[in-house]
Amino acid sequence: MKKKSLKRTMALALVAGMTMSLAACGGNDSAAGTDGADNNGVAATEAGGGAVGGGTESGVPSIDAITVGEDYKDLTASVKILTNRTDIVDTVYKGYADQFMALYPNITVEYEGITDYEESLNLRLTTGDWGELCFIPTSVAKNELENYFIPLGDYGTLDAIYNFCEEKTFGEKVYGIANGGTASGIAYNKKVWAEAGITEMPKTPDEFLADLQLIKDNTESIPLYTNFAAGWPMGAWDAYTDVAATGDPDFKNKMPYMKDPFAKRDDMTGPYAVYYCLYESVARGLIEEDPASTDWESSKTRINNGEIATMVLGSWCVNQFKEAGDNPDDIGYMPFPITVDGKQYAGAGGNYGFGIAKDAPEENQIAAMLYLKWLIEESSIYEDEGSIPARKDAPYPDVLADFEGVELLSNNPAPAGEEDLFDNVNNYGEVGINNDDYPDCAILEAALYGERTLDEIMDEWNQKWAAGQEAAGVTVTE
Amino acid sequence: MEQEKRTFSQWFLSRKVQRVLVITTFMFVPLLLLVVFTYFPFGKMVQFSFYDKKYIGEMRWVGLKNYIDVFQREEIFQALFVSVYYMGGAIVQMALALFFATMMVFKVKGEAFFKAGIFFPYLIGGIAVGFIFKFFYARGMVFDTILQMFGMDIENIPLWLQDKSINNISLVATSVWRYMGQNMVLFLGAMMSVDPDLYEAASLDGANKWHQFRYIIMPSIKSIIVLNLILSISGSLSAFEPPYVITNGTMGTGTYFVIMNRLAHENQKVGLACAMAIVLLAIIILCTVAQKLFFKYVFDDGTADESKAAVRRRKQEEKRKKAEAKRGGAAV
Repeated sequence: MKKKSLKRTMALALVAGMTMSLAACGGNDSAAGTDGADNNGVAATEAGGGAVGGGTESGVPSIDAITVGEDYKDLTASVKILTNRTDIVDTVYKGYADQFMALYPNITVEYEGITDYEESLNLRLTTGDWGELCFIPTSVAKNELENYFIPLGDYGTLDAIYNFCEEKTFGEKVYGIANGGTASGIAYNKKVWAEAGITEMPKTPDEFLADLQLIKDNTESIPLYTNFAAGWPMGAWDAYTDVAATGDPDFKNKMPYMKDPFAKRDDMTGPYAVYYCLYESVARGLIEEDPASTDWESSKTRINNGEIATMVLGSWCVNQFKEAGDNPDDIGYMPFPITVDGKQYAGAGGNYGFGIAKDAPEENQIAAMLYLKWLIEESSIYEDEGSIPARKDAPYPDVLADFEGVELLSNNPAPAGEEDLFDNVNNYGEVGINNDDYPDCAILEAALYGERTLDEIMDEWNQKWAAGQEAAGVTVTE
Repeated sequence: MEQEKRTFSQWFLSRKVQRVLVITTFMFVPLLLLVVFTYFPFGKMVQFSFYDKKYIGEMRWVGLKNYIDVFQREEIFQALFVSVYYMGGAIVQMALALFFATMMVFKVKGEAFFKAGIFFPYLIGGIAVGFIFKFFYARGMVFDTILQMFGMDIENIPLWLQDKSINNISLVATSVWRYMGQNMVLFLGAMMSVDPDLYEAASLDGANKWHQFRYIIMPSIKSIIVLNLILSISGSLSAFEPPYVITNGTMGTGTYFVIMNRLAHENQKVGLACAMAIVLLAIIILCTVAQKLFFKYVFDDGTADESKAAVRRRKQEEKRKKAEAKRGGAAV
């Protein structure tokens, strides 16, 4: 009897142990995908290699040399375009193709939507037989561009015409033109801001906080919704610390060498000013009542209908906010309220770049070039998507109207050999700019519970930064 | 040649060789799996804990620095303090599970329904449970609404996830909700093996339900209680899902695993996280051994009818009686 019960116990123990360890395994990664899942395809800036490789010359003209609607009117060809936007490939994108085919009846344009875009393209690019036009996957390094894509023109010429050319340039040849770009700023509900009696957009942190106070006093809306519980919307504040806060496209490259980059500056610029906006709006009670139980999905609808006045997120969020309810026209996007020497800046980056297949037949390549030029210059794509247009001289879409007069800058790529320096200092020191949400969460917590002042937190960050510099072996020079 | 070959095949086919062969071939696969997927990765983790390592890039030997860091970091020991809440939860969970299991073991109406109902949360994935309770505790959502129905004013209801005095208790409650049913089923299984005649006999002797529980059920399932307690305590040291999903480890709810995950993934300090994992392993081993010793003393590991302490007490009592008898005898 005793032996039997012992056996049973052991069997039970085994089963219990196994199920528990299984459960533990399952838990770890299933949540990993919650971050950034809403970020639709913003191409990362890549630091390129230094070697110069010659572009292949062919009978295909460069993109600046053709005139859409006049050249190649009798060309018969077909163009297949690969895209990651499976949500609109059969509606909006097909509409563009139809418009173009009306202009060029002999050219067939066909879209193919691909889920799991990056992975699939990595495989399909190497086969060579995938179509004519695609979004260049971010995993294709600059020095590999010439293996898969034809040059669209010289960097010197195209850079004067199009935004974000340097992201897909190698050896003075441009292999891809970005499908517009995004700017970093603040999403807000125009109607609520107007109701609160705000006529002019804030340009400094204190004006911003005063405006939030007006919203609190004069309307029923939540002035600033932090989306604290989701984590990543807190990390989004880091994105403003470089260009938007300093107006210096090299700030991120200088930061690893700087002493106390988080120190307060007299003119209220720099990273401190960004976190000042966050800390003070929490401390002054201008955020939601219970940040611990915020919900991202419903917050989209709530900013659309005016329950929420403001959210600090990248411009990719704007379309999601517009689609989340009945008031798409109420959603606006403004630059981050920091003024450096009388001028406002905003960080900007290109979306996925378009590239034309190297192995496609020449007439198809020319047709693809025609379609590309038509799409990025004459179609309504940037107004529809609310992004910065590909052409430098094109007007901004309505949603970015507040960015008139604001200088858009991208971070300069790190100098050769220092590509991972920022990340090293950042990770060793655990400051976690742009990769760890927790330090931003800690700012909110400190303000919420009144535990520490912002100056104390920033001092701690400076110390951590110094420790990171030491661990990465950097000599502080600035 | 012929001769020799035959002897080889004879030798090969002999019972002894065949036995060794069968044993090794059968053992080979499980041992290989065990080594490749358990001990080799573990060995790698031990190795990483002595290096400064990122996911990509070179490793740098730093000796014991990672271990020293683990003991010097404030947030890590704060995280262990958070585990105390989960241990408290484990006790509550077992008490509830014992209570419900005892109710089920005496015939009740709708037994199958209650059993399934109480066990059901265990079948839901930890992440899903997290999301359920995220909305349950959110301001003005499920829980607040229920409390308001009972006449509580929203002003007086605390912010379940924000208020530092209760947010850990809120999170622990979700874990109790999830695992209580599983504990109950384990207890119930053990209780089923108790001979029902004993209850009848006991009740004839005037024992009530509490007595039956205390003197029949408890001693019979000691070993499974000990086992559950050990599993729960080591489980509470490695709690991860509720704080990770519901609060992301913010507002003072970061458990050891959440901190470890953050260091490894956000800050790319893989070496430090490995060292943390090994320190946790050591802590869990220590806790388990301590519990084992404790129960050995109190329960004698659940296998003997009498604990060591009881034996000692009985012996002392006998000694005393003997001495008394002697003294009494002398007096007489």
